[in-house]
This record gives sequence, C-alpha cells and structure tokens, in this order.
Amino acid sequence: MQRRSLGPLALAALLAASGSSQAAPKPTSGPHGEAATPAAQLTLTPEQEAAVRAGGFTAALVWHTSSDYTTAVNAGAMDELQRLGIEVVAQTDAGFDAAKQMSDVETVMAKQPSLILSLPVDPETAPEAYAPAQAAGTTLVFVDNSPKGYVQGKDYVTVVSDDLAQMGAKAGQAMAQAIGGKGKIGYVFHDADFYVTNQRDHAFRQTILGEYPDITIAVEQGLADPARAEDIANALVTKHPDLDGIYATWAEPAELVLAALRNAGNTHTKIVTLDLSETLALDMVQGGNVAAIVADEAYAIGVGVARAGALGLLGQTVEPFYVVDALAVTSDTVRDGWNRSLHRDPPASLLEQ
Amino acid sequence: MTSALRGIDPSRYVVHVGFLLIFALFAVVLKDDGFLTSTNLLNIAQQTAPVTVMAVGMVFVFTAGEIDLSIGSVVAISALIAATVMREYAWPLAVVAGLGTGIGIGLLNGALVAYARLPSFLVTLATMGLLAGVARWLTNLQSVPITQNLFNNLFGAGRLAGIPSLVFWTVAVVGIGHFIHRETRFGAHVHATGDNARAARAIGIRIEQVRLAVLVISATTAALAGLLYAGRLHGARYTLGETDLLTVIAAVIVGGTHLNGGIGTVTGALIGSLLMGMLNNGLILMGLSVSEQMMVRGLIILAAVALTLREPNR
Repeated sequence: MQRRSLGPLALAALLAASGSSQAAPKPTSGPHGEAATPAAQLTLTPEQEAAVRAGGFTAALVWHTSSDYTTAVNAGAMDELQRLGIEVVAQTDAGFDAAKQMSDVETVMAKQPSLILSLPVDPETAPEAYAPAQAAGTTLVFVDNSPKGYVQGKDYVTVVSDDLAQMGAKAGQAMAQAIGGKGKIGYVFHDADFYVTNQRDHAFRQTILGEYPDITIAVEQGLADPARAEDIANALVTKHPDLDGIYATWAEPAELVLAALRNAGNTHTKIVTLDLSETLALDMVQGGNVAAIVADEAYAIGVGVARAGALGLLGQTVEPFYVVDALAVTSDTVRDGWNRSLHRDPPASLLEQ
Repeated sequence: MTSALRGIDPSRYVVHVGFLLIFALFAVVLKDDGFLTSTNLLNIAQQTAPVTVMAVGMVFVFTAGEIDLSIGSVVAISALIAATVMREYAWPLAVVAGLGTGIGIGLLNGALVAYARLPSFLVTLATMGLLAGVARWLTNLQSVPITQNLFNNLFGAGRLAGIPSLVFWTVAVVGIGHFIHRETRFGAHVHATGDNARAARAIGIRIEQVRLAVLVISATTAALAGLLYAGRLHGARYTLGETDLLTVIAAVIVGGTHLNGGIGTVTGALIGSLLMGMLNNGLILMGLSVSEQMMVRGLIILAAVALTLREPNR
C-alpha cells in the first residue's frame, strides 16, 4: 500500500485520532485519476500575496448545497479571500440541482467576478453550466470534482477535495476498533450517483473486507432518499438486533439509526459515520451508541481553493488535485476534531459533558 | 362593491404591482451590479422558462379544482427518455418520445382521478414517487449527455436575434395557455368544473373529461419542461425537476390562481414565475449569504401570498 506524504499536522492527527496500528489508507485519486497532493502545499510567497492584493480581484462562491461542510468550506474560502484582499461579490446554493447551479453561474456573471470557486453538482452537465464563466475568462477552481472534458491548467486551476478514500478507510478502522476487531455489522450506503459519498462508502467497505477478516458485513442497505432514512433505520434495527456495529453513510441518516436504536432499547450496537453532528457527538461523549465520527478538514478545503484561485489569477500553474486530511473523532478528541474540521469550538453541550 | 367592479378580482393584480415594486427596488439597489443589463434580464427569463411552462399547466389543474404533484418526476423521466432515444435516433423522435411519455402519464393520472374517482392529491403523490423511482432506475442514476446540437439549440441553449430559444418557448406556451384558458369553451368548462362540479355537471359539462384533460395538459407541460432542461444542460439527469414542484405551486398561487378551483390566470402565473426567478437573481447579486437569501426570499413570498390570497369580500 502506497503511503502518502503526511504533514506534521496530519501525523499528529493520526496519532491523536486512533492509536490504531493500521497502515495509512490508500490515497484518494482525483475524479480523472490525478495523483493527490496535500493541500498544505498550496502557499503564496509574500510577493505573490502583494500582487494579488494589488490586483483588485473579485470572487463568487457557487456551492452545490448548504450544510455544515459547505459552511466550513465557505468560511475557509471567505477568510482566506479576505486575507488576500479578494472581494467576495456573490454566494449561491444550488440545492443539488444541476439546472439551478447553471442559473447561479449565469447570475453571478452579471457581477463579472475574476474568480469562481465552486463544487459542480453534476460533472456530466457541468460544462454547459460553467460555459458563461469560461467564455468570460473567469478563473475557475473546483472542490471535489471538475466538469467533464475540462482540462486542468487551461479550463480550470485545480480541484481541492477531502481525502474521500482516507475518510472511508478511517471509518472502517474506527469501526473495527469500536467492536474489537470482530463481529457482524450493517452497512448503510448512499444509493445515488454522487462521487463524494460513493467514494467514502466504497473505501469503508473495502477496508472492512480487505483488512478485517473477522468482521462480516451482514446486511447492506442502500439509502436513496434521505427522507426515508428513518424507515430504513427502523427496519434494519428491528430485523437485525444483534449487529455489533452499523456504518451510516453520513451524519443525517446516522442520527436516524441512533434514534431507531434508542427506540429499540439497543445499547450494544455501535455507530460509525462521517461528517460532524452535534446530536451524534453528544451521544458519543455520553458513552452511547456512537463510537466515532470521521470528519474532513473542510475549512482547509476552503483555504486551499482560495489560495489556488489566487495563484490562478496570477497565471501560476499548480498540481491538478489537492486533498486535505481526514480525522476520526472519538469522545476523547471532540474539541480537537471540531477545530480541525470546522475551525470552531464544538457546541457548548459537548464541552459540558 | 359596484356591479362594474364585481367581475374584477383585485387579488389577481397584486402580483403585477408586487413584481413592478420588487423590480424597481432591485433596479435601484443593484444598478451598479449588472441587474439591469439585457444579459441578466434575459437570464432571468430563460432560467424561469421550465417553471413558467409547468406553471401554465398547473393553472389549468388548479382552476379545475385538482392538483398535480407528479410534475417534478415527469420532468426527469421525459428528459431521460428523450436523451436516451437521442443516443440512437434523430432528435424529432426523441421529442415525440419525451412528450409522449408526459401525455401517457397525464392519461394515467387523469383516468385514476376522473374515472376511478380517486383524489388527485393522492394519485399524483403516488405517481410522483413511482416515477421518481423509474427515473432513477432507467439509467442507473447516470446522467445522459445529449450531443445533437440542433436539439440543444432549439430547446435550450440556442438564440435567434439575440433572444434565447427558451424565451420563445415561454411566450408560445403562455400565449397558447392564456388563449385556451380564457377564450375557449374548454377553458370555460375548466373554470365551471373547479367552481362547482355539481353545477357544471348539471348544465351538461362532462367534468370527467375536463379532469382528465387538465392532468394531461399538466403532465405534457412538465414533459416539455424536461426537454427544455435537457436542451439547456445538454443532457438529462434523474434529479431534474426534483425541486421545482413547490416553486411552480408558489408561482401559480402568487400569480392569483386559487388552490380550491374556479379562479386562475395564466399571465399571473407567468408574472409569479418571473418574480421567483427575479428574487433568486436579485438576492444573489445583492451579495447576500445563502442563509440571508433564503430568509429574505421567504419573507417576500409570504408577503406576496398574504396580499394575493386575502379574500377581497370578507
């Protein structure tokens, strides 16, 4: 297994997060197979920073949806853009709708931003969505994915992402640790064509299957419509009361799995999920079902795209694909986890425990 | 109220005034932010085209006292079917297939409502779920690209004399819809059925046929909206139209059409749809954060609905 180069921060995180002896997971590759570079390597020299400040640049942030994750990415981008003297002139949320995102790009172009930072909802139809920006010569930097057919270095600066494979793998390791390396687990995955969740789910499954022969995935349950997660969670918990652990593809369905376990009076099934949630973390610090929550350094993604955008505005070329690290947050590492992922302290309820 | 004014429902015109007020507000506040540029105004018109087209169909459904919740799923399914057909065949066949899908679904909805006498709310709620499942299953969640440029230009991205093709579609559908709704015998029957079904039947209107027809119209406009999205994005995806239902309903109601039947206006729905699009556009250009945009939009829609739906005679 190829070991990725880890910054001191990431190394500290690995030590803090787990204490487990597993090898570092295989690094994520970009949506088009690009090799990953740590986002911490995206830096500007003082001369470059001065040049950006003198440029009078503006930026629009064209996001795919609203969530804790987007909020943290947005905050990282806003803070870094402000530091670099780039004015943010518009922010949008497409609600996972490719057509809405296309409209958003058209709309923000009325303000003629020098730079657009965006997460494309649907890479297949995204080339049309970003066409007005491309035609106007706007510098584009993407989070997670790039429009199909776009050429890095020519059509866009780079892609900055969380390390999706590392997140899934860390969830697998955290699950193994939570149930003592053996037992039966349930696997609730996102049954939709969405690169981010698909990669994470896949990496979790591969980690369990590949590294933990004593753990069996006893039940696999696809989740297509988050609104139906509660029904699915209830059915899963009722039908399989003896599971040692349940993996839920992200925090919202995990909250419903937790509710179902509580309703059933089940205290032994452990939950591992991804993306920080106060509800889940509260259960975790109180010694409930939740064993670990894997998070990404979302704020650092925002900082990374902003820096890449600044470099792009100066005509610099950068690597094609950058990733930030993932961390498994457990009851002992809640404060550190919140700060590293979302760049703020955990909610007070968690610190009072 | 004098008899001369009795035929005028003031609630129908509140949206026109509201639209002008908000337009004027944005024009002043955003005068340096590109709001008034022709590109931006055309953007609003073309971005709202699919919702406007669906809103025209929904006006007929509401006027007849029914509701169609399945339009969002029809958008996705007809777009996916058209895009899939276009992989092998020429685009006119794909257009027929896409629209035919809409008509077929409309007939199914309509038959269940009109002849099996089931409530349209429940029938279309069920078909909404059924069709959303079919749309996901059809292409296994994959997007289907469309490479036939004539289709893409005609239904989405093209322009004639600088005017986007989507604007022509909007004008055509609103024009035809307005004429049928206001000027024809069928339009009168739709109004009568929604106003008082029993009375309509008593004077010889075949209300079953009216109910079937309005649901076919609604599904057909949704299928056309699907083609417009597909042309605009050069491809189809199962999520198309997913979030449009509430926007369409809001546009229609803000436009002055009553949910409980008998009263409706196609031009009002056009204004309502443009109002929704203009709000999205203007609030983004104001540089508000996403949360602020949502709050302000909610408040403005609430104000518009409160004014529009207030019963004038109470």
